Amino acid sequence: MRLKFKWILTLLIALSMQFSFAQEKTVSGVVSDQTGPIPGVNVVVKGTSNGVQTDFDGKYAIKAKTGDVLVFSFIGMNNSNVTVGASNTVSVKMTSDSQNLEEVVVVAYGKVKKSEYTGSVASIKAADIENRPLTNVLGGLDGATSGIQIQSSAGQPGSAPAIRIRGFSSINGSNTPLYIVDGVPYTGDISTINSSDVESMNVLKDASSTSLYGSKAANGVIIITTKTGKSTKDKFSLNVSTGLSSRSIPEYDRVNANQYYPLEWEALRNSRPMGTPVQMDAANLFATNNIAGLLVTNPFNVANNQIVGTDGKLNPNASLLYPEDLDWEKLLTRAGVRRNIDFSYQGKSETSNYFVSLNNLNEQGSILKSDYERTTARININSKFKEWFRTGLNLSGALTSSNQAVDGVDNTSSFNNPFRTIRYMGPIYPVFDHNADGSYLLNGAGERVYSTLRGPQASNGRNIIYETLNDSDSNESIALSARTFAEFKILKDFTFTTNYAIDKRSLNTSDYKNILIGDAQGVGGASKENFVTTGVTFNQLLEYSKSFNSHNFTVLLGHESFDYETNLVTGTKRGQVVNDNSELINFVTVTNLDSYSRNYSTEAYFSRLGYDYDGKYILSASIRRDGSSKFAKNNRWGNFWSFGAAWNISKENFLSEASWINDLRLRGSFGEVGNDSHISNAGLSFYVSQPTYALGYDNDSEGGIVANGIGAPNLKWEKNTQSDVAIEFAAFKNRFSGSVEYYNRKTDGLIFEVPNPLSLGLDNRVENIGSMFNSGIEVSLNATFVKTKDFSWNFNVNASTLKNEITALPQAEIINGTKKFSVGSSIYDYWLRDWYGVDATDGYALYKSDPAKIVAGDVEQRVVNGENVTTNHTKALYIYAGSAIPDLFGSFSNTFKYKGLELSLMFTYQLGGQTYDSNYASLMHTGSEYGSALSTDILNRWQKAGDVTNVPRLDVGRNTQSSAASDRWLVDSDYLSFRQANLSYNIPADLISRLGVDNVKFFVSGENLALYTKKKGMDPTQNFNGTTQNRFSPSRIVSLGLNINF
Amino acid sequence: MKINISKYIIAGCSMILLGSCSSDFLEQSPTEFISEGAATADTKALFLSLNGIHRSMYIRYEDQGQTGVGGIMQQMDIAGEDLVYTASNGWYRSVYDWTAASNENSAEIRFPYRTFYQIIRNSNAIINNADAAKGPQEDKNVTKGQALLYRAFSHFQLVQIYAKRYVNGAPNTQDGVPLVLTTQDIVGRSSVEDVYKQINADIDEAIDLLKGYKKPNNSHLDSGVAHGLKARVNLVQGNWGIAADNASKARAGKNLMTIAEYTSGFNNYANQEWMWGSHIVELQTAYFANFGGYMSRNFSSTVIRACPKAINSKLYDLIPTTDVRAAIFSKTGQHPNIVLVSNAQKFPYTSQKFLSVSTGDSRCDVPYMRAAEMYLIEAEAKARLGATDAAQVLFDFVKKRNPSYVLSTKTGQALADEVMFQRRIELWGEGFRFMDLKRTNSALDRSGANHNSIYTGNVTTVPANDKRWQWLIPRSEINANPLVKQNDL
Repeated sequence: MRLKFKWILTLLIALSMQFSFAQEKTVSGVVSDQTGPIPGVNVVVKGTSNGVQTDFDGKYAIKAKTGDVLVFSFIGMNNSNVTVGASNTVSVKMTSDSQNLEEVVVVAYGKVKKSEYTGSVASIKAADIENRPLTNVLGGLDGATSGIQIQSSAGQPGSAPAIRIRGFSSINGSNTPLYIVDGVPYTGDISTINSSDVESMNVLKDASSTSLYGSKAANGVIIITTKTGKSTKDKFSLNVSTGLSSRSIPEYDRVNANQYYPLEWEALRNSRPMGTPVQMDAANLFATNNIAGLLVTNPFNVANNQIVGTDGKLNPNASLLYPEDLDWEKLLTRAGVRRNIDFSYQGKSETSNYFVSLNNLNEQGSILKSDYERTTARININSKFKEWFRTGLNLSGALTSSNQAVDGVDNTSSFNNPFRTIRYMGPIYPVFDHNADGSYLLNGAGERVYSTLRGPQASNGRNIIYETLNDSDSNESIALSARTFAEFKILKDFTFTTNYAIDKRSLNTSDYKNILIGDAQGVGGASKENFVTTGVTFNQLLEYSKSFNSHNFTVLLGHESFDYETNLVTGTKRGQVVNDNSELINFVTVTNLDSYSRNYSTEAYFSRLGYDYDGKYILSASIRRDGSSKFAKNNRWGNFWSFGAAWNISKENFLSEASWINDLRLRGSFGEVGNDSHISNAGLSFYVSQPTYALGYDNDSEGGIVANGIGAPNLKWEKNTQSDVAIEFAAFKNRFSGSVEYYNRKTDGLIFEVPNPLSLGLDNRVENIGSMFNSGIEVSLNATFVKTKDFSWNFNVNASTLKNEITALPQAEIINGTKKFSVGSSIYDYWLRDWYGVDATDGYALYKSDPAKIVAGDVEQRVVNGENVTTNHTKALYIYAGSAIPDLFGSFSNTFKYKGLELSLMFTYQLGGQTYDSNYASLMHTGSEYGSALSTDILNRWQKAGDVTNVPRLDVGRNTQSSAASDRWLVDSDYLSFRQANLSYNIPADLISRLGVDNVKFFVSGENLALYTKKKGMDPTQNFNGTTQNRFSPSRIVSLGLNINF
Repeated sequence: MKINISKYIIAGCSMILLGSCSSDFLEQSPTEFISEGAATADTKALFLSLNGIHRSMYIRYEDQGQTGVGGIMQQMDIAGEDLVYTASNGWYRSVYDWTAASNENSAEIRFPYRTFYQIIRNSNAIINNADAAKGPQEDKNVTKGQALLYRAFSHFQLVQIYAKRYVNGAPNTQDGVPLVLTTQDIVGRSSVEDVYKQINADIDEAIDLLKGYKKPNNSHLDSGVAHGLKARVNLVQGNWGIAADNASKARAGKNLMTIAEYTSGFNNYANQEWMWGSHIVELQTAYFANFGGYMSRNFSSTVIRACPKAINSKLYDLIPTTDVRAAIFSKTGQHPNIVLVSNAQKFPYTSQKFLSVSTGDSRCDVPYMRAAEMYLIEAEAKARLGATDAAQVLFDFVKKRNPSYVLSTKTGQALADEVMFQRRIELWGEGFRFMDLKRTNSALDRSGANHNSIYTGNVTTVPANDKRWQWLIPRSEINANPLVKQNDL
């Protein structure tokens, strides 16, 4: 420590002497690039804090002395260093680094020049995501590159979208990519990373780029790198934005109250005998007399048995008593406000750099009681103390607090799901109770009374508005991430680096259920949960690089250990004592109290060899030996490897004439990576190898255990063999560039939960059985159509195909919900009843008959148009009815720049693939779901003999048959999404330079602006498997912001 | 020079780090589980495994309606004619309208099958490892004996639900259910005869092992329960003598409830009449997925508020007013003597036999065997045998429910019919009706009562020979076990 002070003191003295004795003069000049002068360029005297910026005409003036080095820096340009000589004028022409193809990308355990990389990597830069209202930085991947599928995030503010890179490698195991943050596997929640801290996100897609992460890499790798100090002039940056968040996808169209009652009447009537006029009259009268009783609520100003006449029409004198009280959505939703403020400062000297940031974000969801507040701080300091020794610390912390709406993914059909209520609440039900005259019923305190009495399928007994307002589900978290390293240059060509990283997150959840209505009616209940995750990575890397003549060699040797632990403490009490206190002390009885910890660890040895000849011919190879605690001792270790090669054709002499070609390269790779589902216990249990009994099955006060897992002592790594070939090109002064890429990923030894016979007493066993492949072509093109001094237009498009096919299975077929796995099918091929249509004679739903179930004389079998059809869904033929996997998907974007104005528009799209829209199916019941809403498509139902339609008769007795799962509910998933738009304006420098400010930018940004689909209300991006749920639609966020640098 | 030395020292130290982690770095032990071997290693562990089975009688299985064995009891009553849905209600609807029985993908038919085979697996682990376990012989006997009873009970329930009925005197070669006696073997269906043979053998061995065992509470099984089970099984088999004899042994030392006790007699397993039941403490509640979350009258769940369970009105109207069992149903549906929430729907004939702890706490002890059933078994068996004391046995029982009851003068079938009536009103809601109809080869007849055809899906009658009396084997069993043959579709 004392040594360090001495050193600093010496430095200070040296600096002050410089200041005292140097003979200063004023140096001035103009900084420009090929298009003209550049305003806002930082000009710094190297080694000092003395710096200025160029004005609007690119001019600058700075005090310096002869021999000083002036450093000119500007984002998007290469730094330029000029030594001050005798002249007092120094003018500089800067070059754009986008013209420089020596782009450096962050890859596994290092950085490489992109031109010398053999793998497939896509980069998303800070500039691509800055100014976007991305609460979760992963949102920035949507549409950003080819080969990535994004499932819309659950919509809860802060939630992460699910991501698939190049298809699906596992059936039961995890398909989630590995997230590497600042060099090591990240075990925290990505939403705690401030997106303005992100310098780049790199998506590694093929084996050559991922295999160095061996065990964790089968699903691709996303490397997130946070910012370091880069500006030689100390720079302060402030970013504020505010916006509004609302639901981006409108609700399905549903019938109104006046339509609903007659439709339900018809459904009830049609279930009665109607063969003779007498029966028909009786049926009509029965429906007229009984319908109000079945629907429970009569919102009209006429008597219960006079709402619908025996003619099936709404009584013309009937009018709604309280039309204003029937809108549940209005009371559950809002325009949420999103506010973000972020500031950072950074700087860089010869030996050290620093980056510091602070951020506060507050986002409200479009549903009441859903919000997310996050405060983050980051300090990243790196210092080179000796020529041979460098170290640094990148420390970030985040505090979050959030109110959670009911998670529609896990609770799609729970009674307290507000999305479900909004969708299915029959249009006749008021939020509050009313008196007979329609006025609001008031309780003793003069308050309105929330209604709880409705038809059986209209959340009877519940009131989601009251519950949403009075229950709470909130959480608070503290997340800490630390990365540190020490780097030693040894001998001449060796570098030894050791990295140590911790990600720790503690999530405290508080749940309260009110005493009046809902899951804890009559008692009140509260739960508390503390969930802690800790990931520790420690690695040691030794690198050797050597060049002679034009031969360049690099060798990397490494060892890495990874230790992951989760701890959960959870408790629930019931029996609320006093009002307005959801702490556990306020409840009487303990109904649940538990805790556990789970551990997972891996260890790996790895090596990478690289060789290139003159940057023309590049070879790379890697090998990694990986051990995972999930597997039994004898099967723990797996070996993974890759080879890659690239040929920079444009560097060949025979192309030197073709000056219009800026870049042309061919690359390919082949390798094998593994999957143990990493930190996902759901994907593969941490303790899967051992036969186990579960604790916690106590009988009163007697301890008890039950059989839990059959154990998989022979389970091995799931292996993923990947090949990749690509051609990359750039031409016409780099104004036209792109790549075409083909890949194939084959998974063998699929880790599969093989169903046991139920009679064995445990549902399944885990085995390596089955194979599957994904293949596809990815194309990206980038064109700058116009580029003048003031105006430019850039267009970017990417497109990907995906084919998934199972090639081996443990049994002939496995039916899984609406899907069936079999050899030759994909994992998302629908296996559904073959819907035929509606019989025009009686309105019955018809399915094609399963020939094996046709028995002579069966009244449920019919022949229609020569086709064997059945009215009984259990006798229907099942077919492969399509697939959830799209044929083509991708994005395109346009960027226009005019002087300081920039407009970018991004669209994502999908062609092919189908959605099984169970939400829509539920709105198409045959009237049997008393109180549940109906789609307006019901208006096209069969009503009388001869009606030709695809909607069966309403009939409360035939819903099971008419609405059974079938390909009737498949809807094409084709969509076009206006995903993102950004308009920004840089204030001209001459207007602001007097304020001492370098740069001021205003921007307007929008996410999820419009979605065009085959069916209104449907979200085709909810699940990769094509199913739908009652949950948030992606938030449409429009925000306005300001960015200041000085 | 100094710098260079430190450089090499640092480098040297770092190189050491390149070595591997300690050898147990990749060994992780769970905190939620213990190893399978440890679960039966000694008698202490055997008791843990046995307690786990006691508990698995009242845990939630898959859906919320799958409230352990109490949920299966509900299914057996809902499929019968004596339990009535008073309103439209989704829970167990496909059991009520009998569509589940013929749907091999139905969760309702998967539920008993999966539940009982899980209990069998846990029982087999004890049965097959008890002899080798360390510890006192007495403890081995007690744990193995109870495990044998669980295995017998489970196979017995399964064979009654999924196979054709046992016909006394016939060879009974029809397909039964897989007779699972180990934790490893995958087997096909044994004949009904063989299944019953094994059930009887298991019970006989248990009776032997449990001799002299004094159980600490009614969640455990003793020789009384063993005899009771033996009586039940042989009643189904039509072995009247064995049934009567074991029923009598089973209730030895047990008293019937008093009339005063009866109206609150179905939520406490310590009740003097109970022989076997589950007691659910606060910490082990399954919330809505408790038996009382569906079958009690007072708990405030949507299903109970909207569709409280009623007794068949035709049956109720046969109960003499002097009979205390009339008091556990509310003919008006108003339930004047218990507390209901204000928005509870009211329908005539609803039951208040089962009462949960409160409107906000659905816990209610679950009865699996009571002494009353033993009287009824003995009376029925003796009536069918033509034994002279049959009416007296019935009298001894009914008198405790209805002080005005007079000794029946009926004999033979007529007396047996009277016993069956007593069974219907005594055992309502305790999971017997579907099996009683099936064993007596009776049709289902819901006509003339308060069943609403909208809710029953027009299933008013089902003839005794209908194939839906044999629930289909779940598709998931057939898919994974090619040895198992499906019932007639």
